[in-house]
Formats: sequence, structure tokens, C-alpha cells
Amino acid sequence: MLEILLNHYPVLLEGLATTLVVSLSAIALGLVLGVLLAFGLTSRHGLVRWPCGLYRSFWRGTPILLQLLLVYYLLPEVGIEIAPISAAILTLTLNTAAFQSEIFRSGISHIPAGQIEAARMAGISSWQTRRRIIMPQVFRLTLPPLTNEIITILKNSSLISVIAVTELMRVSEQIASRTFQPLETYLAAALLYLAVNLVLALLSAHLERRMTGGLATD
Amino acid sequence: MPMADTLSPSSPPRQKSIVEAHGISKQFGDLEVLTDIDFSLAPSEVVCVIGPSGSGKSTLLRCLAFLEPYDHGSVYIDGQLLGYEDRNGKRVRTSEKRVDDVRAPVGMVFQHFHLWPHRTALENVTEALRLVNGLSRQEADTEGMAMLEQVGLSDRAGHFPESLSGGQKQRVAIARALAMKPRVMFFDEPTSALDPELVGEVLDVMKKLAADGMTMVIVTHEMGFAANVANRVIFMDQGRVVESGPPATLFRQPKSERLQQFLNTWRERNID
Repeated sequence: MLEILLNHYPVLLEGLATTLVVSLSAIALGLVLGVLLAFGLTSRHGLVRWPCGLYRSFWRGTPILLQLLLVYYLLPEVGIEIAPISAAILTLTLNTAAFQSEIFRSGISHIPAGQIEAARMAGISSWQTRRRIIMPQVFRLTLPPLTNEIITILKNSSLISVIAVTELMRVSEQIASRTFQPLETYLAAALLYLAVNLVLALLSAHLERRMTGGLATD
Repeated sequence: MPMADTLSPSSPPRQKSIVEAHGISKQFGDLEVLTDIDFSLAPSEVVCVIGPSGSGKSTLLRCLAFLEPYDHGSVYIDGQLLGYEDRNGKRVRTSEKRVDDVRAPVGMVFQHFHLWPHRTALENVTEALRLVNGLSRQEADTEGMAMLEQVGLSDRAGHFPESLSGGQKQRVAIARALAMKPRVMFFDEPTSALDPELVGEVLDVMKKLAADGMTMVIVTHEMGFAANVANRVIFMDQGRVVESGPPATLFRQPKSERLQQFLNTWRERNID
């Protein structure tokens, strides 16, 4: 395994870089979409809530591999040419947004209604209340499940090799077929995935420790 | 839920009341929690609302603030109808912005404080000053410190709510409401969630406010406070106003059997 890492580290790192670019872009874009969806899911208006619920059900309820293939093959059908890496980022974004929206929805439901009433009575608009009162607390409350989701997306990004994106998994497959050392190669890839996810988990634990002040609900 | 009916009465109040309500009713499902309540509040008046649990007193206050939309009747703040507007002869809910504008003169303090736990005491007070009034951080901090000083908590400015006692939390909540310069303050059982020895510090702040001429509506179980500070006491039971009048009259010569019964129970419990 060490030999594989030493001999092929430039391509492995290149693959890892693609994995990180795709995953982190999807996580960041998915976070924005997930927050907006969570607002939709907690809206008082059925006309807003209902389509958001439908979206969440579809993207949570179908396999990510299928979603990937659907996006990759469907978009050219409607005249949108899209590079494999863009299709990968788009699919992972749409997928993680559904999961993140549910994480945020659950976080929002844990904020006592009285805190929102206090903001409204102070004249703070509902948008400002979301931005300044609700979401800062929701991000703190949901950091552990959010970290899980980030790690899941990073691991699921290995599936994008099926649409010919040369990320870490695909690079590993290529090395394995060239060297006839599949076990060593995939162990090396596993080590790299593990290393990145450990760093993410440590970062999250550090953030969680730093943000404990001022979270107790009254 | 029944829709709010047409405006009744159709014209805004004539007298100089800050808050005025006519015939307001409220139902939760099949349960009628408020029935045909009339209410008015003159400037600098202190009104205490008393009554047994479930009598509708907190719901009344929440309807007067439109935290609970009332189903029938009208609430006016400074002569402006709160929460509804007349559109082509039909009553419809107004926008949130309009609700905010009409109830801007009202500050509210809740039983469970509802401080924002991720903000320090000072930030709880300055948040709306910055967001709503557009003050700079420095201006808001100066104003906020003055408010905390007023409730005797300037030394706790940098503390998060989790490290404050119940009484201190409630005083921060009062400072937060006062920061927006309200003309009337609503208190919804402000001492009910406090340990008995912490009640006094909150009541002292409220007494001082009353002495300074603040117009107040207080839903409370503190009969002593009501007797000493209120200009008028309203006794509610089963969603209706049973009796109202000056505290001396109400507490010494209750007319209704229900109020006599309520006061007797309270006296027995407090003597025990």
C-alpha cells in the first residue's frame, strides 16, 4: 500500500483534489439551498411548504447513483450540455440540499417559539429574525448531524466516477488496473478518504467546543 | 378557525386610549377562550389582569399584541386597527410589516423571558436597536448600557443568558423591551417562572416603571403588587371579564361570587 502511495501520489492527490472540489462545492451550494428549503418546509403557507416537501422526498427517496445518471443524461435531452464534473456537482448539491434541509428544519423546530415572538415584538422583521436569531442557533445545534452529512457527501462523491469524473475513486480504479494491485490501491484510497474525513470530524469537534457558550435555551 | 368578521364598531375609537379593544373573541378549535371582551387603556394607566389558570388572561394580552390573531372584534393601538384591514368591505389580515408598524408602541415581557441565548445580555438589548432603528454598534451599545443600568444589570452586560439568574434574565428582557422606547408595556405573568426570592427584584423594576408613568398591562398572580401598583384590576374567568375596577374596591368588596371564591382561595393558600 505504501508503495502505491509513494509511486502514484501525484495522480492520487490530483484525484483527491477533484473529490474535494466536487464535494466541498456541493456542500457549500447545498447549504444555501438547504437553508432556503428548510425555510420553505417550516413556512406557514401550504403552497410553499408542499413543493419543498415534494422536492425533499424525491431527493431523499431515490438512490444517488440514479440521480447522478438522471442529471447526466436528462440535461442534454433538454438541450443543456454539461461537463461531467458540473453534472456531478449539480447532483450532489441537489441531493445534499434535501438532507441538509431536513437537518435545518429539525434545528429550526427546536428554537422556542417565544424567542421568535420576542423578536417580532421588538419590531425585528421575520427575515431578520431568521438571519440573526434563528439560524445562528440552528447552525450550532445541527453541527453534529451536519458534519455527518458532509462526510456522507464526501464518501458518496466516489459514485461520480460512473460519469467519468476522474476523482479519487476513478484514479484508484485506473491505478489498480495498471498495477494489478487492487487491494493495495483501494486500501491507499481508503486511507486518503479516511484522512480527509478525520480532519473534517476534528474540525467539527473543535467548532462545537468553541460554540458551546450561549446555547442553553431559557 | 372562524374568520374575523366585519369591523365592529366600524369607526376607530374616539377617546384618547393607547390600546382599545371592542368585542374581541378567540377560539382554539371548538374551545372559546375569549368571549366578547372590551378593553381600554389610558396613558400612564397600570392595569393588572388577574384570574384563575385558563381564564384567558394571557390569551387576551397576546390578542392585544396580535401574537394570537383574534377572531372577532377589533383591537386599536393609538387609534389604528391591529392585524386586519378592510378591503372591499371584507376584513383581511394585514401584512406582517403593517402589524409591526401598528404595534410599534408596544413592548412585551414574557413569562419565560425568551432571551436569545446566543447573544449576551447587552446584545439582547441592542439587537433591535441596530436592526430596526439602524443604530451603529457604538450608539446601540451606549443606549443598551443605559437600559441595563435602569434595571440594575450594567455589570452583567457581557454575560450570556445561561449564566444569569431567572430574575436577572427577566430584568434583561424588560431592558430589551424598554430599549425600543415603547409607550405601553405588556407583561405576561412576568414573575410566574421565578423562584420566590427572585420575584421582588423584578417587581421593583416594574414599580419604578409605573412610578415613572409607563402605561402597563400586567397579567399576574401577584395580588399584593396588583393592589399596590394598579390603577385598575380586571378579573377574568372562562374567557370573560367578570369584574373590573380600582384594586381597593375589587379586593375589598368583590361583587361576583366567582371573584369572592377566587380571593378566598388565594387568601387561604397564602395564609397556609
